[in-house]
Amino acid sequence: MLLPFLLALHAAVAALLVPLVRVLGSRAFVLASVPPATTAVWVLTHAPDIVAGRPVNTTITWVPTLGIDLEFRVDALTLAMVLLVSGVGAVIFGYCAKYFHSGERGLPRLAAILVLFSGAMLGVVSTDNLFALFVFWELTSITSFLLIGNDDRKEQARRAAVQALVTTAGFGLPMLIGFILLGQAGGTYRISELVASPPVDAPLVPVALVLVLVGAFAKSAQAPLHYWLPGAMIAPTPISAYLHAAAMVKGGVYLVARLAPGFAEVDPWRALILVVGLATMVIGGWRALRQDDLKLLLAYGTVSQLGFLTLIAGTGTQVAAIATIGVLLAHGLFKSALFLTVGVIDHQTGTRSIAALSGLGRRMPVLATAATVAAASMAGAPPLIGFVAKEAALEAFLPGTNADTTAGLPAGVAVAVLVGLVLASVLTVGYSARFAWGAFSTKTTVAERRVPRPAATFVAAPVALASLSLALGVMPFVADPVAQGYATAFAPAAKPYHLALWHGFTPALGISALVLAGGAALFHWRVLVARAQQAVPRGFDAERGYYAVVHAIYVVALRVTRALQSGSLPVYLGVILAMLLALPGARLVAALVSGDVALPGASEHEVRFWNTPLEVVVALLIMVTAVATVREHRRFPALILVSAMGFGIAGLFVLYGAPDLALTLVLVETLTTIILVFVLRRLPETFGTRPNGWPKRLTVLLCAATGTFIALALWLMAAARTDPPVSRGYAPLAPDAGGHNLVNMILADFRALDTFGEVVVLATAAVAVASLVLLNRRSRVVEAGPAPEDEDTPTTEDEAGPTPEDEDDTPAPGTPAEEEGQR
Amino acid sequence: MSTRDEDPTPPGDGAARRRGDFTPPGGTTVGEGAPPEGWEAPRERWLSTVVRPAFGPRSVLLEVVARLLIPTILVFSVFLLVSGHDKPGGGFAGGLVASMAYVLRYVAGGRSELAAGVPMRPDALLAVGLLVACGTAVVPLLFGGTVLEAASVTVALPIFGEVKFASILMFETGVFLIVVGLVLSVVSALGARMEAEEAAAKAGSERTRGLDRQKGERR
Repeated sequence: MLLPFLLALHAAVAALLVPLVRVLGSRAFVLASVPPATTAVWVLTHAPDIVAGRPVNTTITWVPTLGIDLEFRVDALTLAMVLLVSGVGAVIFGYCAKYFHSGERGLPRLAAILVLFSGAMLGVVSTDNLFALFVFWELTSITSFLLIGNDDRKEQARRAAVQALVTTAGFGLPMLIGFILLGQAGGTYRISELVASPPVDAPLVPVALVLVLVGAFAKSAQAPLHYWLPGAMIAPTPISAYLHAAAMVKGGVYLVARLAPGFAEVDPWRALILVVGLATMVIGGWRALRQDDLKLLLAYGTVSQLGFLTLIAGTGTQVAAIATIGVLLAHGLFKSALFLTVGVIDHQTGTRSIAALSGLGRRMPVLATAATVAAASMAGAPPLIGFVAKEAALEAFLPGTNADTTAGLPAGVAVAVLVGLVLASVLTVGYSARFAWGAFSTKTTVAERRVPRPAATFVAAPVALASLSLALGVMPFVADPVAQGYATAFAPAAKPYHLALWHGFTPALGISALVLAGGAALFHWRVLVARAQQAVPRGFDAERGYYAVVHAIYVVALRVTRALQSGSLPVYLGVILAMLLALPGARLVAALVSGDVALPGASEHEVRFWNTPLEVVVALLIMVTAVATVREHRRFPALILVSAMGFGIAGLFVLYGAPDLALTLVLVETLTTIILVFVLRRLPETFGTRPNGWPKRLTVLLCAATGTFIALALWLMAAARTDPPVSRGYAPLAPDAGGHNLVNMILADFRALDTFGEVVVLATAAVAVASLVLLNRRSRVVEAGPAPEDEDTPTTEDEAGPTPEDEDDTPAPGTPAEEEGQR
Repeated sequence: MSTRDEDPTPPGDGAARRRGDFTPPGGTTVGEGAPPEGWEAPRERWLSTVVRPAFGPRSVLLEVVARLLIPTILVFSVFLLVSGHDKPGGGFAGGLVASMAYVLRYVAGGRSELAAGVPMRPDALLAVGLLVACGTAVVPLLFGGTVLEAASVTVALPIFGEVKFASILMFETGVFLIVVGLVLSVVSALGARMEAEEAAAKAGSERTRGLDRQKGERR
């Protein structure tokens, strides 16, 4: 089974491309097309088996305890998707070699990410595990974010990239929840098993389906989440051709088509699919009709087509399933051909505006022919695959003629959908014609420009894809087995339906003719149509909705931050201490009162005042320095006193036989004192405002209460032990680990993972401190932002907790938090 | 701190006041009856770069101590690191001691002296440390062990006798490097900031003064 190897090949080639593009320039894209081409060839060699109902399976164990494995399963639907993702992908990658100029900024990165994306997309369509699917799904979101934002110096590109990421990945999270609910309800995370025996009666399944559909809708740019797709057109055109025609946006459709055999009958799946799909179809078509930018026209056309695809993929009848495969292939072929055509036009003329293009049909006849064929396929004109597929889709919703094709769909609903379908198809014909006319016609009102003819190899890609549209249209029996292979999963129709160019004089044929005529009329009276569009109020704009939501989140976050982050260290400390008293403190008091916690008896835990008289000396030192620190109003002496207190505590550790702790504490105290001296040089000599009156009394009360609570709790806790300490087992184990110093063995071996986490925190804190301090220096403006306080306690200091100074990174000097902070 | 350029610090004032007073040897005197500025500066060269101490005037005591003690401190830090298995010490303590050597060097010789003594940037130290720690965590997996599994080998060497090599030493080395990197990045960040501010104050830019005055008012 080659599939995991092919995925690895994608990753390897991606890594290899970075240096290669640097050396070879855009020619290296030919290498980029190797992995998808290999994949396409591989899947084609298995095609006979797959369409015969013998899917290719393979499994790599990943996290068996959680049911997460890399399971791959290539069936008919996957076959169609892989042909799109990898087959069309290989063509587009070859095209990239001509489209991009060597030495363009960010080209190596672009090439590598493009191949990674291709691999991730291959993973999405071929995996059989919900979690693996989610991982690959998010990988496509991230890589497409990087691809859309490739020109990272343009603000618009960055914004479009973020918008796409927030929408697709943001709604991917509910989808993950949906996956988990589905998996829990069905008892398995294997998609094939879930679909074969769907847990339709489980109470949470409808919720799960809605969540999954939301994720799929966001990915496939369904209204009202379609706004990111036109925005993403800022990406280079071949990227748009690949991501937004062949691959990524099909992810949502794929997911719907994948789950439809099992869940189409569960409410509210069908209602949601039909409403959203139809709405998207009509909105996309309506907006495509008024675009001036050829690429945006295609983008809105894609939105419309994706609505169409979602609609038929989710309907869940056999004829609709056959139509789904047909439209999937047709759309992948004609839309990428059209995008690549726009790429050629843009590359040669430097514009994509209909208002600025004229006479290109005469200068690029081959390209014009190919693009017209592709546009005709989009419009659903015979004898192209677009026509074949649309016939099938119309057939799926025709009530009456064949009672069983609309099985499970009430006649009224079917008719309503059919009407919407016809309406949207008329719009599709209209914008298809507008595209061909706008790109290639000779307009009397536009001055013609002399543009260089594109190289033959450059035009080859769109021509090849358009020819495939024609070839599949003439020979639909090539694609039919794939469609039949997918459709067997649904309840069989009374009369089998096949993808074919000619079914006889059927109602569907009549509707097709009607649609073409309507579209032609729409195009012929395009001036009137444009005027009518102007007259219609724009109403709700989904993109504005997105920005409103994002803005609202910012505003709320700012308000919350402003309310919670006052920038005053005493307030922060006060809140922390008050919480300490309110929760554990109150609980302790309650436990003492109710008798849950008994006061230690006199026998075992009797209160001794000291073990050695030396302790008295050390304790006196600590107490004296503590009191003196509080009473000191100059910063520097206060710092020295605090350090002295720390050394006193280190002395306690020595007396209690903990040399490791004492050593570490002494070192930390020394170092923090030195670093604090650096900081103190920039601060006023004395503490600024000192609390007086009620604030002072409150502070005293709070601190005294906290101290009492800590002392009491420590005393009670030491006596409250019921089980033997864990550390008993450590001593005999230590020699096995290679040492006799228990503290060190705990840190470096027994609890090494904790230590590891802590050093990672340390490193992060170091980077954060440095960047915050330097950032402050660069802007030279002392903002009222929070100071870079690092509350991390380094590895061994957990035990050395009581020192008040063990944050060795103090806030940056000069920030207001520091002004009254040292208390 | 608005007045740090204008009013010379009276002698014997708090340490916090003295920070802006660096003047080159032979510069102006600081006050009535005080010794001349730079009287403590050594005539010989003790450190490797042009000495511009982090704060205060140059001091022969500091420079000599730094020169003599730093190698010893560094060796001691390695000793702590290596002896940590059986005796007090370990990567964390060793790292703190080593970074103290560098802090001493910074205090005595200033920023360029610090840079001259450190083999790489603090960030690089952090990265290497994390890499070593991660490597120790992952390598056992390659031999079929679990994450962070420890192993030790005792070898008899000709002169040293029985020597124990424990894999946790590698882990401790990572911790050591991270601690050194942390302290160095904090010191150099604060040092960079202070130096830049002093340079700006020297240039007497109008903007800086305005800011300083604001700072003074807030105080």
